[in-house]
Amino acid sequence: MLIIDANKCSGCRRCETHCSFYHSGKTGHLGARIKVEKIEITGVDFPVVCHQCKEHYCTKCPREAISITDRGSIEISPTLCDLCGACETLCPIGAIQIYNDVPHVCDLCGGAPKCVDACEMDAILYDPDIKQTISLDGFKKKTKKMTPAEKRHAYAQQESQQLRENWLKDRRE
Amino acid sequence: MLHGYGGHILRVDLTSGKILREKTDPDYMLEVIGGRGLNSRRLYDELKRDVDPLSEENMLLIGVGPLTGSLFSTSAYMTISGKSPLTGILGDSAAGGFFGPEIKYAGYDQLIFTGKSERLSYVYICDDHVEIRDAQHLAGQDIFHTTAMIRKELKENNLQIAAIGPAGENLVRYSIVACNNSRVCGRTGMGCLFGSKNIKAVVVKGSGMVSVADPLKFMELCKVIDNRILEHPEYQERHELGSTLLMKALNGLGILPVNHFQKGMAPYVDKISGQTLAKNYKVKNKGCFNCNINCSRYYITSDVEGEGPEYETLCSFSSRIGSDDLEFALKMNHYLNRMGLDSLSTGETIGWAMECVEKGIFDKTDFDGLDFTWGNMKTVEKILGMIIAQEGIGAEFAKGTRYLADKMGKGSEKYALHVKGLDVICGDPRGIKAFGLTYAIASRGADHLRAEPFFELTNRFEEAEKRFGTRDAADRLSNNGKAALVEFTERQALLTDCLTMCKNVGLSMDVLDFELAADLLRAGTGLKFTQERVNKSLRQTITNDRLMNIDFGITAKDDTLPHRFTHEPLLEGASKNQVVPVHDLVKDYYKIKGWDADGVP
Repeated sequence: MLIIDANKCSGCRRCETHCSFYHSGKTGHLGARIKVEKIEITGVDFPVVCHQCKEHYCTKCPREAISITDRGSIEISPTLCDLCGACETLCPIGAIQIYNDVPHVCDLCGGAPKCVDACEMDAILYDPDIKQTISLDGFKKKTKKMTPAEKRHAYAQQESQQLRENWLKDRRE
Repeated sequence: MLHGYGGHILRVDLTSGKILREKTDPDYMLEVIGGRGLNSRRLYDELKRDVDPLSEENMLLIGVGPLTGSLFSTSAYMTISGKSPLTGILGDSAAGGFFGPEIKYAGYDQLIFTGKSERLSYVYICDDHVEIRDAQHLAGQDIFHTTAMIRKELKENNLQIAAIGPAGENLVRYSIVACNNSRVCGRTGMGCLFGSKNIKAVVVKGSGMVSVADPLKFMELCKVIDNRILEHPEYQERHELGSTLLMKALNGLGILPVNHFQKGMAPYVDKISGQTLAKNYKVKNKGCFNCNINCSRYYITSDVEGEGPEYETLCSFSSRIGSDDLEFALKMNHYLNRMGLDSLSTGETIGWAMECVEKGIFDKTDFDGLDFTWGNMKTVEKILGMIIAQEGIGAEFAKGTRYLADKMGKGSEKYALHVKGLDVICGDPRGIKAFGLTYAIASRGADHLRAEPFFELTNRFEEAEKRFGTRDAADRLSNNGKAALVEFTERQALLTDCLTMCKNVGLSMDVLDFELAADLLRAGTGLKFTQERVNKSLRQTITNDRLMNIDFGITAKDDTLPHRFTHEPLLEGASKNQVVPVHDLVKDYYKIKGWDADGVP
C-alpha cells in the first residue's frame, strides 16, 4: 500500500499532477486518484489516497463491480459499474470519487506508483507487502452524508492532530 | 481543440454586472503566449492611458499561461495587472501557490474585471458559473478570516481565494492580494486596485483538466526541466532555506541592506539569517503547485505561525530598518499577510523615516509623536496600524515613499529609495551592477524580477563570453556586458512570466532556455511556436510595455537610480567603494534595444 507521511508533505500536489497525467494525459485535481487536502491556517498538507482499509467498505458495491487485486488495490470493472455512486458513499475517507463518468481510485499504477516517484519530499512510500493494516472503523460513522471532498477534509483534520501537537511541542515548549 | 490553454477569456463588468465568456483566440495567443504577456497586451490594446488608477475605468486583469497547471514543474503562477495605484504606470504582480492552476481548471486564460461594484463584493467562479456575490459582511476582515469565511459560506474547503485585507479596502497604495493566505501578489498595489473596484476577493474552483497536444513529447520535455532542477548545484540549499538563504549570501557580498542601505553588512546577520530561521522556527517545507524544490517553509514562533517569510520580507523588517530581532520579523510577516500590505514598500517608508530622523531632517513632531529610531519595534507596529487605517501621518505613509518624501520635502526626497515610484527591493545594486540597471529600466519600477540577472553572481565566465561576448558579464562588479545580460534576462524573465513558471527556478537557476520553452509550448499547445516566434513575442511585449509607460509619462529621466546608489560608495565589505554608473549602463541598454537616446522604441 501507499504509506503517507504528512509530516513531510509540502502540499505541492506533484503527486496529483503526475497521477492525473499518467492516467489520462491531462492534469487536474479531480483527475488524480490521490488528493492533497490543504489546511493553510494550520500548515497541514495531507494526501488522501486509498488505504486498502481492513474493512474494504467499497466492496459492498451493489453491482459487485469492485474487487481487490493481488496488490491489495481496488479494481473496478467498467462493464459492471453503472455509476450508481455507492462506492463514493461507502468509502469513509473520500478516496473514491466519480469524475468524467469513471470512479477514480488508486490503482497503484500497476505496481509502480507515479506519485511516489514524483514526490521529492519522500512523503509517499510504496510497500507492496503491507496490505489491509489500517482500520477506518472509528472514522466511518463520522462521515455519513458527507461528500468525498468533505470526507477528505475531515479525515485530514483528524489525522493531522498529532502532527500539530508535535510541531507546537517542538517550537513552543 | 485548443490544447494547453484554458480556452476562454472571462470579462466581468462590475458596474453593470454583465458577464461575458469569450473563446480564446489561438492567433492572439501566438503573439502574447500567456500570463504577463497576455495581460500587458490587453492593457496595451484596451486601457485608456489617462485614467486615474483608482477610477472605475482602470482594468484589473488576472492572467495565466498555456502551461499553468500542467505537468511542467513550477507552473504555478498567475499575474495580476492594471495601471498601478502606487506608481501611475504599468503595474503587475505575480504569485505562485494554486490560484493560477485553478483558473485553468475552471477553463480560463484570463479574467478581466472592469468598472466598479456598487457594494463590497466578491466574484465566485466555478467553471462556467460566474457570480458577483455580496461581501459587505467581510468588510474590514483580515485576509485569513476572509478566506475562512468564504470557505464556510460556500461550504467548500478546496477553493482558491485571492483576497485583500483592510489595507486594500482602505486603498493603501501598496496593498497586496493574497492567495489562500500565503502566496502574495505584493508589488505595485494590486490589492488597492481590488479595493478601488470594491472587490474583496476572487474565488475560483475548477473541475476541468489541462490537456496537452502531444502528451508523450510534453512529458519528455518536463523530465528535462525536472532533471535540470534536481541536478542543480544550488538545489539543496534552495530547498532548505528558499530565498532566505540570501540574508547571509548578500551579507557576504556586502550588499545586504542595513539601516536603509547605509551599510551593506550586518554584524548581527546570524541572528536574522535563513539558517537561524530554519533551525529555530521551521517545522516543514511548503511548496507551490507542482514544485520539486518546495522552497517555502512553515514556521511556528511563540506567538504566530504561518508560511514564509520570503527574503524580501525578512530583510525589510530586520536589517533594512536596523532590527536584529528575527521573531519580530516573523511576526510582521504574519501581520502584513493578514492585513494585506506589501512588505517591501512598507519597509521602505519606515526605513526612509528612520533615516530622515537620524539625519535630523525630521523629528518626532513631524510623525505624530512616533519615535523613528532604528529598529524601534513599537513605532513599527504603531505606524503599520496607522497606515492600514489611513490615520494621521499613516494616511500619508499609505501613499508610498515617493509621495511621502515629496510632500514632506526638506531634502528628504534624496533618501526616498524608489524608481518610478516603486520602492527598491532588498538588494544593494552597488555590488550587483546588472541588477542596478534592471531597477533603472524595469517597466514597473525598481524591481529585480523584470530581469533578475542572477547570472552575474555565478562566475560562469565562459558561458558569459559565449552568450554576451565578454567574460565580464559574469562578474558582478564589472559594468561591461551588463546591458547585453539584462536585455537577455529581461526576455527570459518575461518568458517565465508568460509560462507562469517560478522565477527562482526558470531564471535564477537558469533552468529555462528559449529553445526548450518553444518545444514545450509546441508540445503543450499544438500551435506553431518556434524559438523565433517566442522571441519575437517577448520583444514585442517589452516594446509595448515601454510605449505604454511613455504614454503614462515616463521619459529617459526616469530610467535612473536613487542618488545613494550612484554617488555614495559603500564603505566596507565585499562591495566597498562601489557605485552604479547608471547613466552609462542605461545608454548601453537603449543601444542594444535599438531605442533612441530618449529611450523611445
